[in-house]
Amino acid sequence: MTRFITRRLAYSLLSLFLLSLTIFLFVRLTGDPAVLFVEPGASQSDLEAIRQQFGLDQPVGVQYVSFIASLVQGDFGQSFYYRTPVFELYLSRLPNSLLLATAAMAFSLLIGIPSGILAAVRVGRFWDSAGKVFALLGLSLPSFWVGLVLILFFSVYLGWLPSSGSGTAAHLVMPAFALGWYFAAAHMRLTRSSMLEVLGSEYIKLARLKGLPESLVIAKHAFKNALIPVLTLAGINLVIMINVAVVVETVFAWPGIGRLLYEGITFRDFPVVQGVVLMGGGMIVVVNLVIDILYGVIDPRIRLEA
Amino acid sequence: MTGNCHAKQPVGFRLSSLLRRRPPTPSGGPIGIGRGRVLALLALALTIGAYGSARAGNPQGQLTWGVHITLAPTWFDPAETPGIITPYMVLYALHDALAKPMPGQPLAPSLAESWSASEDALTYEFVLRKGVKFHIGDEVTAEDVKFSFERYRGASHKPLHDRVAAVETPDPRHVRFKLKEPWPDFLTFYVGATGAGWIVPKKYVEKVGDDGFKKAPVGAGPYKFVSFTPGQELVLEAFDQYWHKPPNVKRLVFKVIPDETTRLAALKRGEVDIVYSIRGELAEELQRTKGLTLKPAVIQATFWLYFADQWDPKSPWHDERVRRAASLAIDHDTINRALTLGYSRITGSIIPDTFDYYWKPPAPTYDPGKARQLLAEAGYPNGFDAGEYFCDTAYANLAEATLNNLEEVGIRAKLRPLERAAFFKGYAEKGFKNLIQGASGAFGNAATRLEAFVAKGGAYAYGSYPDIDTLFAQQAAELDHARREATLHKIQQVVHDRTIYAHLWQLAFLNGAGPRVGESGLGLIPSYAYSAPYEDLTLAHQ
Repeated sequence: MTRFITRRLAYSLLSLFLLSLTIFLFVRLTGDPAVLFVEPGASQSDLEAIRQQFGLDQPVGVQYVSFIASLVQGDFGQSFYYRTPVFELYLSRLPNSLLLATAAMAFSLLIGIPSGILAAVRVGRFWDSAGKVFALLGLSLPSFWVGLVLILFFSVYLGWLPSSGSGTAAHLVMPAFALGWYFAAAHMRLTRSSMLEVLGSEYIKLARLKGLPESLVIAKHAFKNALIPVLTLAGINLVIMINVAVVVETVFAWPGIGRLLYEGITFRDFPVVQGVVLMGGGMIVVVNLVIDILYGVIDPRIRLEA
Repeated sequence: MTGNCHAKQPVGFRLSSLLRRRPPTPSGGPIGIGRGRVLALLALALTIGAYGSARAGNPQGQLTWGVHITLAPTWFDPAETPGIITPYMVLYALHDALAKPMPGQPLAPSLAESWSASEDALTYEFVLRKGVKFHIGDEVTAEDVKFSFERYRGASHKPLHDRVAAVETPDPRHVRFKLKEPWPDFLTFYVGATGAGWIVPKKYVEKVGDDGFKKAPVGAGPYKFVSFTPGQELVLEAFDQYWHKPPNVKRLVFKVIPDETTRLAALKRGEVDIVYSIRGELAEELQRTKGLTLKPAVIQATFWLYFADQWDPKSPWHDERVRRAASLAIDHDTINRALTLGYSRITGSIIPDTFDYYWKPPAPTYDPGKARQLLAEAGYPNGFDAGEYFCDTAYANLAEATLNNLEEVGIRAKLRPLERAAFFKGYAEKGFKNLIQGASGAFGNAATRLEAFVAKGGAYAYGSYPDIDTLFAQQAAELDHARREATLHKIQQVVHDRTIYAHLWQLAFLNGAGPRVGESGLGLIPSYAYSAPYEDLTLAHQ
């Protein structure tokens, strides 16, 4: 078991190293941040002074070694734009992202799971079709468009909800819906297919033959088993919601990590982009590592195959 | 050279203005001096008292902005002012400068009541205004001015520091800058194009450190810092001891709303009072919406078409007639109406009209017939393939419209929009060919703009002309303002006559104000994009 965990840990570290290298190099292909900190027409000496200040006058290899050396000490560097440590910025935005992601996740599960169950037990009928339309729209409508329509309707036309910002529960409603709809659709589809698979299994047939009421068969026997893959997906989705709600957070001026990433990209703020991507990637790697280890604990065959 | 203090006196209570605002007396017969009359007069007196105190140093209410760009803490510290206009949005509120642009005055004396330069242009002396205080109560002194200059590390700090030999403070109200050699643009850089002339309290900065200062900035401006929530909002409160005059509005809130549709929605709902940067169709909608006012401000950003290959004898652009044909093919007015509702200023210069030493060229004309004729005379009766047209993606709409105009006379080019960072990198590295849609909003004067875009070795000059280079060298060494101006005018005339550039416009930055706003401050300072001066702002009922 120790060997299994060590190997998984090594894979995780390798993944993080490759991620750090990739994001470090790719972000530098996108342009020179110095030109975004001056008006066009600024002197070369001004541009060079900015590059020097940001450490961009050094060879890329030296920059990467310096970046990794700081990273292993928990230092993600200092934002070019904010002149504040990236980790500090990340932590200041994290509570807002957690709040939004939690609300969006609650919405997506509350809508996605019941509608998925309903669609599965009423296959080919109205609720199934309605669920399919809901899922299709959720997966295909761009979230920025959904966000803008919500603002126009609920803020400007009806005047019920604030158009943007944060601070009250009312501020949370529209961004949570805009972010959660896509995931609600994904959860609904997975719940439906998972329920259909479980409902067709032998033990459900046996339960019905035993004369159990249909509601009990669905609620007690089918639903519990069908829920496992949905919850696994929800865990991964939560990490995604926290880190990459870029569009929704920008449209609603929600001060979360997604918007921090947007700002980082806009201003070619390399340390911010690197930091946010690595933190998000790190979360996914850790979640996967824990899942791998748990699988290994539960199923010895996985340990042996590894 | 001398600057005089013509600062406005604090606006006090004016009975006449109050009387204009009081509720109308109900009409009726003759009124006796009864109890009701006495009570009415008493109520009126109380109202007058309350109003008067509000005007004379008791600011009221709140104005909220929907800001298009994320506010950065570096903007709270003048020492870190980058070479872009946006930080001045905060500087004008929190801090004050020795001199700064104000309504009707390109360089109004502020913390300095006057200044002078020695005959040999090696010494500049500033006299500070007496009794001006920072928000913490300390008086602004010459030591603070020296300290602010020395710690300045923002845009153009190197040429500024390199050319100053010493800063002397003979007494608390006098500051003397000694230059290593005569530099006619010293004032342009020190109090115009950089944040070095914006003054911070030395003792406080030394006590809290640079990071501490950014977290709790203290200045001598009309508004005090209250709070800053990164990515969300900045809150400021009126400083009633501001030397110029006490602000009228008590609280200013700057909310960051990056999406412009959301900003407009927030303005419509009354969540914010002023929004920055609303473009195209949204600006038209703003203009149509009852209660909202479109507030365009023509800023110092000029746009042009640059013929990068004009020094290549094999290129069609080498022929001046072809360049003039391109210029004549551009329908400026139609493009302006379509993209900025007609508010941009059609200009024939790469230099903004508010810059020192600006020469006013003839307005560009639209004459496609003449353009075709010139092309035919140059040997291109059927037009020609002009290669690529490079532009910043953010202004691809302007490029598309211009390109359409060029195609109408037979100049065919392929649009190559590039993301801003990549575009300006390619432009500065001289990596482009054919046509470049350039722009600049850089601070300075005509000489600094020409240095970057026209003169030999300029950061964005793909070539130069010997006669212009000679004139440029002459003006750089000229200390007499009039003679220097004449030389710079001559250069601009040659640039115009030779059609080194085809000019597009001086951009209008479109903002909006809601019904609660009295004076928005938008457009008060020429070429400035944002609300200022903040002490002049009022609510609708004030």
